[in-house]
Amino acid sequence: MFTQQLINGLALGAVYALIALGYTMVYGILQLINFAHGEVYMLGAYLGIIILGVLTYLGLTAYSLPLSLLVTVLGSMAFCAAYGAAIERIAYRPLRNATKLAPLISAVGMSIILQNVVMLSQGKEYKNLPPMLPSEGFTIFGANISPVQIFILIASILLMIVLHLFVAKTRLGKAMRATSQDRVMAGLVGINVNQVISITFMIGSALAAVAGVMVTLYYGVVHFFMGYLAGIKAFTAAVLGGIGSIPGAMLGGFVLGLIENFCASYISSVYKDAFAFAVLIITLIIRPSGLLGQKSVDKV
Amino acid sequence: MTMFLGCAHQDENVVRIGAAGPMTGDQSKMGMDLKNATELAVAEWNEKGGVLGKKIILVAGDDQADPKQAVSIANKFINQKVVALVGHWNSSCSIPASKYYDDANIVMISPATTNPQLTQQGFKHVFRVCGTDDQQGRAAADFVLKKLHPRRVAIIHDKTAYGQGLADFFKKALGNKVELVYYGGIIQRDPDYKAVLTAIKENKPDIYFFGGIYPEAGRLVRQAKEVGLDIPMITGDGVYDPTFISIAGPAAEGTFITFGKEPSGLATAQSFMKNYKAAYGNPGPYSIYAYDAANIILTAIAQTGTTDGTKIADYISKTTFHGAFSDISFDKNGDVTKAPYVIWVVQKGKFVEVQ
Repeated sequence: MFTQQLINGLALGAVYALIALGYTMVYGILQLINFAHGEVYMLGAYLGIIILGVLTYLGLTAYSLPLSLLVTVLGSMAFCAAYGAAIERIAYRPLRNATKLAPLISAVGMSIILQNVVMLSQGKEYKNLPPMLPSEGFTIFGANISPVQIFILIASILLMIVLHLFVAKTRLGKAMRATSQDRVMAGLVGINVNQVISITFMIGSALAAVAGVMVTLYYGVVHFFMGYLAGIKAFTAAVLGGIGSIPGAMLGGFVLGLIENFCASYISSVYKDAFAFAVLIITLIIRPSGLLGQKSVDKV
Repeated sequence: MTMFLGCAHQDENVVRIGAAGPMTGDQSKMGMDLKNATELAVAEWNEKGGVLGKKIILVAGDDQADPKQAVSIANKFINQKVVALVGHWNSSCSIPASKYYDDANIVMISPATTNPQLTQQGFKHVFRVCGTDDQQGRAAADFVLKKLHPRRVAIIHDKTAYGQGLADFFKKALGNKVELVYYGGIIQRDPDYKAVLTAIKENKPDIYFFGGIYPEAGRLVRQAKEVGLDIPMITGDGVYDPTFISIAGPAAEGTFITFGKEPSGLATAQSFMKNYKAAYGNPGPYSIYAYDAANIILTAIAQTGTTDGTKIADYISKTTFHGAFSDISFDKNGDVTKAPYVIWVVQKGKFVEVQ
């Protein structure tokens, strides 16, 4: 049972980690909690169902499943990236120099709008996707690893490595780090700050889209409300890891997934969500800067 | 004020029948199924000349699945001198509203409220034409004990009044004949049930019961296969929906469900099926119950020759009615004497009745 819970927890954690990255990157640059981020993830999940539906209709899934999954993931990423950038342009950029609370309220408003747009256009009912991958996988130490879980773990770890290399090695990554350290100075030395911020939103949203498609494949059910809880959980993961820190978000996601799974199975499944949020409260009390976060000097 | 008086002075050449349920909001489909079926019955009676030589008028009440609204609908019906009604839908609406109807001598027949409490309040005017959750729990337990012979059983529920209630009745009906190795709740709308399923697997049950609705059931059976929990699920009427099979995919195969018979196969239901389809499209799972409830009310009014609720209720409680769905008679509480539950199993992506 321990191995099985470990695998379940890691797969769930990988999803949280991917969403948490979007929170943490935006926070790192703008000190803004983008509460509409959970909705971008929800959008990614809906797009996953829609694109897979179209591909099945066209016969591509029957022809090559890996290829159609790739097309789905890329399609959803592209759409959500555009969405993320648009959200930033419409809801946050005009408020960038307003009081700190204004963009936060704008974010909550954006989240409500996106939820309702999806509810009105896609309906209140659960949308579902029949299983695309077989449920029987490999058995390791008495635990069953399904192909979807393998897909989730490999894809998310790969994306995290790519993201890490991007931020650490490329010119644009350097510009992002500079912007997060000091936006004004970065602008003075010739970095196009608006562009960097847009790209940050796009990357974060694209990662959330991958998480959305994965969850669609994993659970087979999407709902216009799904982004709310997942968003808060991912936010918890980001805080747990240290908000603003990219490795922190990854670690926080996995740790939260594991805690949730072990508490649900060994203590009580009814209080699964309560355990996740207890983690948030305990982190904020004991170590507000998170596992990997650094104590920041308040700039204001 | 004049408008109000105008309403109060309605001519007495009509008989008013109510239809109450959630007609807007989340569960509007359910409420509309109920209203449409009642409307169909009323239209058929009016075509034959109404009842007691008077025209029958249908009064619809939308309770929005909200207990407070249900009570205000009850008051509205009382003011409008409704003789009897078909409704309400939700247990949480039927139970509070029933007291008002009973006090006002209005006959209430619910087509879908399965919570046992509704008819255990000692109200003379309150009936239901569907089964109850304890009858359903017993039907499931009977089937499990007689056909599946498990030694170890796990039970989970979704913490709602319906789901947990059903799970508890199933548990009670099993008694000490099997070993209960796991009992616990899950969170509705939670996408991931692998933790609880893995814990169940660890206890090595032979079957597991789920009290809840189809979206959760679909995810449960699907994820059960993924953690290697390869035992049949037994569940209730809330899962009898094609969406369950499409969510779960092949994992749904072999799931047992307690539900009523399918009306499309019944000879007595053919004319209802045809007329309903022509007027409103495909009937919902409980449309036919509402249709039978409406016919029981109108038959009772015609036979007793009165609109006195107490006399009508008296007649209903003593008579066997030949409904479109089944023959219906009531026990002293107002429950149907013969619970209509049969066992269904998912085979090749379809619900098939177990013989």
